[in-house]
Amino acid sequence: MGASLPPKEANLFKLIVKSYETKQYKKGLKAADAILKKFPDHGETLAMKGLTLNCMDRKTEAYDLVRQGLKNDLKSHVCWHVYGLLYRSDREYREAIKCYRNALRIDPDNIEILRDLSLLQAQMRDLSGFVQTRQQLLSLKPNHRMNWIGFAVAHHLNSNASKAVEILEAYEGTLEDDYPPDNERCEHGEMLLYKISLLEECGFLERALEELHKKESKIVDKLAYKEQEVGLLLKLGHLEEGEKLHRQLLSMNPDNYRYYEGLQKCVGLYSENSQFSPDEIDRLDTLYKSLGQQYQWSSAVKRIPLDFLQGDRFLEAAENYIRPLLTKGVPSLFSDLSPLYNHPGKAVILEELMHKLEHSIRTTGRYPGREEKEPPSTLMWVLFLLAQHYDRRGQYDISLSKIDEAIEHTPTVIDLYSVKSRILKHAGDLAAAAALADEARCMDLADRYINSDCVKRMLQADQVVLAEKTAVLFTKDGDQHNNLHDMQCMWYELASGESYFRQGDLGRALKKFLAVEKHYADITEDQFDFHSYCLRKMTLRAYVEMLRFQDRLHSHAYFHKAAVGAIRCYIKLYDSPPKSTTEEDDDMSKLLPSQKKKMRQKQRKAEARAKKEAEEKHEESSAAGASKSGKRHVKPVDPDPHGEKLLQIEDPLLEATKYLKLLQKNSPDSLETHLLSFELNMRKQRILLAFQAAKQLLRLDAEHPDSHCCLIKFFHKVRSMAAPVTDTEKLIWSVLEAERPTISQLHEKSLIEGNKIFLERHKDSLMHRAAVAEMLYVLEPDRKSEAIKLIEESTYNMVPKKEALGPVWEWKLKDCIAVHKLLGTALNDEQAAFRWKVRCAEYFHYSTYFEGSRSSAKSNTAYNQICKNSENGSANHSEGGETADSLTLNGRLEAFKDLNI
Amino acid sequence: MVCIRKATIDDLLAMQTCNLFCLPENYQMKYYLYHILSWPQLLYVAEDYNGRIVGYVLAKMEEESNECHGHITSLAVLRTHRKLGLATKLMNAAQNAMEQVFGAEYVSLHVRKSNRAAFNLYTETLGYKIHDVEAKYYADGEDAYDMRKQLKGKQVHHHHDHGHGHGHSHAHGHHHEHGGGCCSSAEPKGIGKKEANAS
Repeated sequence: MGASLPPKEANLFKLIVKSYETKQYKKGLKAADAILKKFPDHGETLAMKGLTLNCMDRKTEAYDLVRQGLKNDLKSHVCWHVYGLLYRSDREYREAIKCYRNALRIDPDNIEILRDLSLLQAQMRDLSGFVQTRQQLLSLKPNHRMNWIGFAVAHHLNSNASKAVEILEAYEGTLEDDYPPDNERCEHGEMLLYKISLLEECGFLERALEELHKKESKIVDKLAYKEQEVGLLLKLGHLEEGEKLHRQLLSMNPDNYRYYEGLQKCVGLYSENSQFSPDEIDRLDTLYKSLGQQYQWSSAVKRIPLDFLQGDRFLEAAENYIRPLLTKGVPSLFSDLSPLYNHPGKAVILEELMHKLEHSIRTTGRYPGREEKEPPSTLMWVLFLLAQHYDRRGQYDISLSKIDEAIEHTPTVIDLYSVKSRILKHAGDLAAAAALADEARCMDLADRYINSDCVKRMLQADQVVLAEKTAVLFTKDGDQHNNLHDMQCMWYELASGESYFRQGDLGRALKKFLAVEKHYADITEDQFDFHSYCLRKMTLRAYVEMLRFQDRLHSHAYFHKAAVGAIRCYIKLYDSPPKSTTEEDDDMSKLLPSQKKKMRQKQRKAEARAKKEAEEKHEESSAAGASKSGKRHVKPVDPDPHGEKLLQIEDPLLEATKYLKLLQKNSPDSLETHLLSFELNMRKQRILLAFQAAKQLLRLDAEHPDSHCCLIKFFHKVRSMAAPVTDTEKLIWSVLEAERPTISQLHEKSLIEGNKIFLERHKDSLMHRAAVAEMLYVLEPDRKSEAIKLIEESTYNMVPKKEALGPVWEWKLKDCIAVHKLLGTALNDEQAAFRWKVRCAEYFHYSTYFEGSRSSAKSNTAYNQICKNSENGSANHSEGGETADSLTLNGRLEAFKDLNI
Repeated sequence: MVCIRKATIDDLLAMQTCNLFCLPENYQMKYYLYHILSWPQLLYVAEDYNGRIVGYVLAKMEEESNECHGHITSLAVLRTHRKLGLATKLMNAAQNAMEQVFGAEYVSLHVRKSNRAAFNLYTETLGYKIHDVEAKYYADGEDAYDMRKQLKGKQVHHHHDHGHGHGHSHAHGHHHEHGGGCCSSAEPKGIGKKEANAS
């Protein structure tokens, strides 16, 4: 490095490198300038100066200098390395890898560059390259522990776990017998556990168990030891030992459900779908009774039997379980019981049980058959439970009367208001739900949970401004007003984006959805620093798990929602581009397409120029105001806070396709993915891709109304297209002709017939009827009245209480709203939509959408009472300004008027 | 009702959501990654019957000081899941691991002066004592209690009901096995080392 310089300058050059490493950028800069004064063309110095400036946020200069340096000294590995580091700092990993490779061509054994390259390879999952680099590092420095471990991990990641084991054993062979010293016992133990998990992964179960036992004294983490051992025993079928060990683990933590599951497996009482024979149920019952005596404090041991017991024994166990929890007032009791509602028959038993307890406490103040009197709160908790039960059953009138009685009983319990808010939300009165959640919030302003709950309800009610005002009460971080984004508060950003979308504010909606997408990109990025960290720290099992987690990161629910939201925004943007409001746009509309294109290009160039100027200015000012270390701490200002620029993209469908690809890769089993793919590709006229989407839908759920619609729409569209002319078109045609007979729904049937058969299969389901009606209209527009009749003749079956077993045909509010929209838009019949609305208002009294008689959209409702109650509770947003006013009683009512329109 | 188990990497996103929903002190995902990739033994979650994460404890070892000790970075339980003793169970699990795996002498935490509920849990149920007061510890200017609990030779078993649920802290039967001392290693770059409260 700096070899071509005289001694004085060579020393200065070393100083630049050192200053860079110690982050004393100003010092480094000074040294660089001193060299450049004498040798203005010295490549490595130019490059290092650039790298230093990069750390001082002077990007443009940095790239210029590094490139110039490289040009002056193409044979310098330093220049190439620096260029790679520059790209790396901008997350341009592929470019960085190329630079490192060039550097290594000049200096093949440079350890530092090899190490940097290996990190990038791990990050980019260039696994065979990673193996190669780690091998080279090991052969250069075999006395470094990290190089052995790195080589082993590389092989493991590259799907060669047995090779990884060999390497680790070779490494162990280099160690003394008394290894490890005291301060390295943790790391060594972790390495051993990693090796054993590798053996397990290879299927060498006996060897893994043997090795585990042999190394017991060297494995520090005893819990991990036992968990590893029990897993191996189970896989090897050593069930007796497994049972013993599971019981040991249970005595250490009787609240870990996995241990119970493991124990059941060991005693042959496990079933994937929880289906057991009567004999098995007897034996399970005995098992859990004995465990219950052993672990009296465990709640798991009492709860699990409710899953497998049936009939009277279920009733008895449920009663024993529920009683003390009601006495104690455990607010999560209902949510704990709620999975049982999916077991046939249990909901009815639970309802009877709750009524029995309610009746007994009301009349005697005691539980049935008990001498002791219950505290007054028990009645309230029974009512609380009943309210949630009826909510779950969709019987909102009873549900609300129960919760109201509970509130009357003890008006100070916040949980009651939160639950009432949730009931109202389910019943369809979003505004009243938000108001109640706000009332709950005001009862304890220091509790962020009820604040968040309230924010969630406000967003559901499309009160976005108010929601943000409320949320930021907890997000002040120093002088920063709102750190929700910095802290990756994704539930908030998603809920907010969805609300903006409902309100048609596509810019802001996109802004929020893309923010979530950005968080996921950041999380992917986060792993970078851990590639070397974990090798040092030896947390190898966690590290490999982390890499696998990263590989499936984008299948996470929040990402899925964000991508779906963004795609919907782009589709809507394509269907109805924003209206031009400025004069400029008016001028544009008069131009010919080719002129428009030119003009747009001109505009874009001007924008780019302005942006570059602004950037340079920004760099100058930040350089001037740089602190001692040379690094400034100014938060960049968001140039597009409302997402207006996001709406100005040329080709929304192209943008949408980017996110669609991520969904197709990461959520291939979601109907929504393929539904969106269908919508997008139909618009893009990509016939085969649209067909593929339809086929995927059929694969996932051929009986789903949406799958049916896509299929019909697709072939209908194909039929209406002009005869093929070009070779490509002819090819597409022939593919479709070959494929159609393979689709059983349409095999030797016309579309009209296919539609009819679908109806016959699902004539009791509202949403299927609606789908058929919509398709009927698509296929035969003159049969519109028939289509509407099909929807209107759907019958709403109230579910009689006792017959709640088996399939339930009740309508969901969400579906009824969708049907209303269908009538108003696709079928375009306002009168029918109105009739539907009147009819649904009968079923959903609380729905504001249908203006139900008890919704806050009507006067004299539950909601207005809430307002009265909470007049004194609406405090604490008063930061002045107009939005704060919306919290007052009048402001709220105004918000409701909007809902009416 | 609720399963208490070691956290896995797949729990981290849900832990972050739980944290953001309940507590004013929040962290970016990288800080959670840093914890689980440094001390995978010290993160526990409470998972309800529907598979939802309703509580967690995020803890670490302080490895720079000469006295090896654990630190509770953050502890949260959803308001809807109070009265089940989850906080106690989570804390006990993390504390046991600190002692068993890393041979921690004591465990420390910070709590807002105004957070009486958390303070009571720490002092009455879990046996923490005030070690110091840190003035203006939190972003909003509130003071924190710096609290500590001695771990070595811990033999006291709590079996009284404290109103936080079953209120028992089960003395796990393996205290005799001590760990191999603290693993010393520097943090990776760019970890926002923001301190938290535990409430």
